[in-house]
Formats: sequence, structure tokens, C-alpha cells
Amino acid sequence: MPEYIIDVERLSYSYPRKSNVLIDVSFKVKKGEVLGIIGPNGAGKSTLCKALNGLVPHFYGGKFAGKVIVAGMNTLEHSVAELATKVGLVFQDPEEQLSGVTLTVYEEVAFGLSMLGFPKEEIDHRVREAIKKVGLEGLEWRSPFELSGGQTQRLAIATALALEPEVLVLDEPTAQLDPIGKFEVFSVIKKLADEGSTIVVVEHEIEELATFADNILMLNEGRVVAYGPARRVLTMVEELKKYEVNPPSVTELTYLLNKTLGTKLEVPITLEEAIKIYGEALGVM
Amino acid sequence: MSSLGMGLLRRTIAEVETFIHRLDPRTKFIFFLWISAFAYVFCDYAITAILLAACLALAAYARVLKPIGLTILIIVVPWMAVDVFVLGLGPFQFPWNETEIFRFNIFGYEVPLYYEGTAWGVTWPLRIGVCISSAMLFFLTTNQARLVSLLVRLKLPYRYIYMVMATLQMIPMLMDEANTIYQAQVSRGLRTDVSLLKRALHYIALMVPLTLSTIYKVQVRAIALESRGFSAPVRKTILYRTTFGKEDYMFFAAMTAATAVLLYVYFTYGFSPIAGMRFYLFES
Repeated sequence: MPEYIIDVERLSYSYPRKSNVLIDVSFKVKKGEVLGIIGPNGAGKSTLCKALNGLVPHFYGGKFAGKVIVAGMNTLEHSVAELATKVGLVFQDPEEQLSGVTLTVYEEVAFGLSMLGFPKEEIDHRVREAIKKVGLEGLEWRSPFELSGGQTQRLAIATALALEPEVLVLDEPTAQLDPIGKFEVFSVIKKLADEGSTIVVVEHEIEELATFADNILMLNEGRVVAYGPARRVLTMVEELKKYEVNPPSVTELTYLLNKTLGTKLEVPITLEEAIKIYGEALGVM
Repeated sequence: MSSLGMGLLRRTIAEVETFIHRLDPRTKFIFFLWISAFAYVFCDYAITAILLAACLALAAYARVLKPIGLTILIIVVPWMAVDVFVLGLGPFQFPWNETEIFRFNIFGYEVPLYYEGTAWGVTWPLRIGVCISSAMLFFLTTNQARLVSLLVRLKLPYRYIYMVMATLQMIPMLMDEANTIYQAQVSRGLRTDVSLLKRALHYIALMVPLTLSTIYKVQVRAIALESRGFSAPVRKTILYRTTFGKEDYMFFAAMTAATAVLLYVYFTYGFSPIAGMRFYLFES
């Protein structure tokens, strides 16, 4: 097994009708790591996700340079179908990723496995496991069209998990959900992260991302403008603001307090950290 | 999501489970062929109406009467009205009209209504009604996964099977999308209180965004399918095995008994035992 489960080296990509969507992007992801990808709209985040499972360039065509190795497989040398068991991709609109030929949650989760020719017993086992992981037990025989937004997105995650991929890629999985739906999906992502899954997640909800991401990669106009441990990247308040990315509120508040009042507070990235830091500063903890 | 289209999608085996739903898809497909064939073997509005009533009774039992009944009302009833008007009324000179059954006085003109034209005008739409209702009964009460397994058994390439199945789900989804776009356009000033011609032109405002959004959705779905191994060059696993059960054999027994009765009627009383129509083509 390679040391890194994802190894992206000097990746540059242009769609057939849009140039320089990704420029010289490099990063590595270890097994069990959670990588958060942030950046303004049009930065190339979704394209990068699609490069991880081979949709870019196999599905879209275009000019591809550099190297993307996932679970030891060079995406250029393997088809998307071959990569399907290595990389599970979840999109932002939960309804648009339904297969369109199934009528129950169970069948929807089983769809990918049946496309890959898994035996029925294995399909049954994996489907039940995946449904359990995303907390949709009891809804197996419900129509996917009857689920709430959060439930449908969890179903989409289950369809990816059923393939037992080595990497789960989530492209703005909460972008179209209401607060309850967001909470449901984040709970599942956090649970998967705690269980040691390797996850790459594009997310605008920085506050949430800060609670489970190990590393953060920030893209702007196709280039990597910041990459490193979540704490380091998320505390680069000026840099984040420059690229129209809002840092966590507690991070920005503490940064501004330090800057304007001259305090020497440690900069938190989560609410829990902030409570601890402020509690100590105020002498109540 | 909430609309007629999505409601249609939801009213499927996921919600309802009757013995008709449990029948093997082949049984229901054979029923569709069988009853449609008899609707055309007999040229008798009464027998055809009985066949249609049988389909509607099964639809009611399977709790899918509403979509089927609505479709019949929308297609068959207006068609019947036009047919009777064109074929049954004297001025249109339907060639087999002989028996006058009524005479209308329209603006001082005596207009006769003939039995032969009226009978034909009623029978043909009823025949179509039998075909539509039995086909819809088959579709609305058959789990799509079981339908897929049936089509796979018939050795159809999976790509084409998917195309058929996805289209069946796409139609209600497009209805939903069209409704959303229509509401958005009306909210932005698209007038609905205009002439029929202008309203028809307004459909451009509906069709352009609908087409574009459909193309986008199809592309996203293609990507999602591809990511789930759709084009993997392997033998696909079929989740359900289609087998005939006790209920299928009972249904076949009922169909055999009905066939015996219908054949007896046909060979004893002819193809139009109640309506008493003649096969004019041979006579002429």
C-alpha cells in the first residue's frame, strides 16, 4: 500500500470550452485523513473532486496534465467504473444523483453494486451496512422521492459507502439543505471521520469543517493558495478574507481582538476551543 | 417535492401491496396483450365496455384507479364524443350508416343520428381505453426493479433497459420541473389571461428553460451513474428473480376461464353479440 491514498501531482486541467480550471495543483492525503477543500465559487473545487474519480478527464475530455493517483491507481489509466470502488463521489444536489430506475431506498443503495456485478448476498449485506452507517434504518422500503433533503443526501452518501470506497469525496454535500438537513449530513460525515474513513470534502460551512477536517486546501482561480493543517489555514484570517472565504466566527473575533486590542489570545477555530480560551482568559475556567 | 408528477412516482409498489402488485410482471404483461387482443377480436361496445370495466376494477383493487381513470377520461371520452359526432350524424355520410335512431332539429334542419356510426364511434375509443388501462395497470403495479429483471431475461441490452426505465421516471420529474418553471415565469409577469395563440407563444418561455434544465439534469445524472459503475464491463446483478407463484397460476386460471367463455360467445353469437354490428367490409 502506498503511504498516501491520494497523491495529486502538478494537476492542470482545462475543459474543452473553459481553460485553466485547475493550475498546477498538488496535495497528498493519508489514509484516515479528512481534507477540506475551500475557496470562492469558480475556484475549481468541483472539478478537482471529479478529477479524483476520473470523471475528469474521462467523461469531460479536455486537456489534462499532471498525475492523480488514488489508492495506487493512476486515474488516467483506469476507467471511472474501475475507480468507482476506490472513490465514492457525492454531489451537492441529492435528487440529481438518484439512479432514476429504483423505487426504494434499498434498491437505490444496491444500484451501484448491481452495476458492478456483486453477488446478491454481498449486495444485501453491504446495503444494510451502508443504510445503518447513515442512519436510514427503517426507511429501506420507502421511495427515495419521499425523503427529506437531508435524508436524500444521506441516501446519496449510503450509495457511495455501499461500494466500500477507499476515499469518500463529498462535493458541497450540504449546499442545498435546510439547517436540519445540514445537521443530519454533518453528523454522518463526523461519524465516518471518527471511524477512520478517508474523506475529501468541499464545504462552505467553515465552522463545521473546522470541527472535523485535518487538513485544508484553499483554491482560487484554479490554483492552490493555501494548504496545510486545518488550524494553520483557518487562522489565516486576512488570506481567507482576501479570497472571499469567511473564517470561523470565533477565529475572526479573536483575530480582531488580538489585532485591535493587542490581546495575546490563542486563536480558536471551533466554538468549543473558543469557550475554553475565553473561559481561561476571563478566569472562569 | 409535491406535484401530480411526483405523486404519480410515489404511488407505486413502495406504498401499496396488493395481489396485483405481487403478480409476476410477465403475468401482467400477458394480461395486457390478452385483454387488448379480445378488445379487437370483438366489435361490440358492450363487450369492450365490460373488458374496460374489468381493467378498471383491477385498477381500483390495486389502488391505481385515479391515474388510470383520469387518463381514460382525458383520452377516451373526448375521442368518443368526436367519433360519434363525425360517424353517427347524417351530414358526414359514414358509409355504413343505415339505421336511424334519433333525429335532431338544429336551426330548422333535421339531422339524423345513425346507430352504425354511433356504435363504431363508441367502440373504437373503448378499445383504446382497454389497451391504455391494462398497460397502465401493468406499469403502475410493477416494481421497476422487477421490470428490469424481466427485460434482462428477455436479453435486452442493459443500456436500453435503463433508457426505458429512466424515461418512465423522467416524465413525472419533468412534469414537476415544468410546473416549477411555469410558476416562476408567472411570478415574473408571464400573463395567463391572454388569447390562445399568445398563450401558445408563451410556451416558448416555458420550453427553453425546461429544455436547458433537462439537458443539465441529464448530464449530472450521467455523471452520477458513471461514478457508480454504470458502464462497468461486467454482468449486472439482477436483484429480483422473476418467478411465477400461486397467485400467478390462479390469475392464469381466471384468464383461461374467461378465454373459454369469450371464445364460446364468439363462435356461438359472432363478433358483435350484444351490439349486433355487421362486418361491413366483407359485405361490401
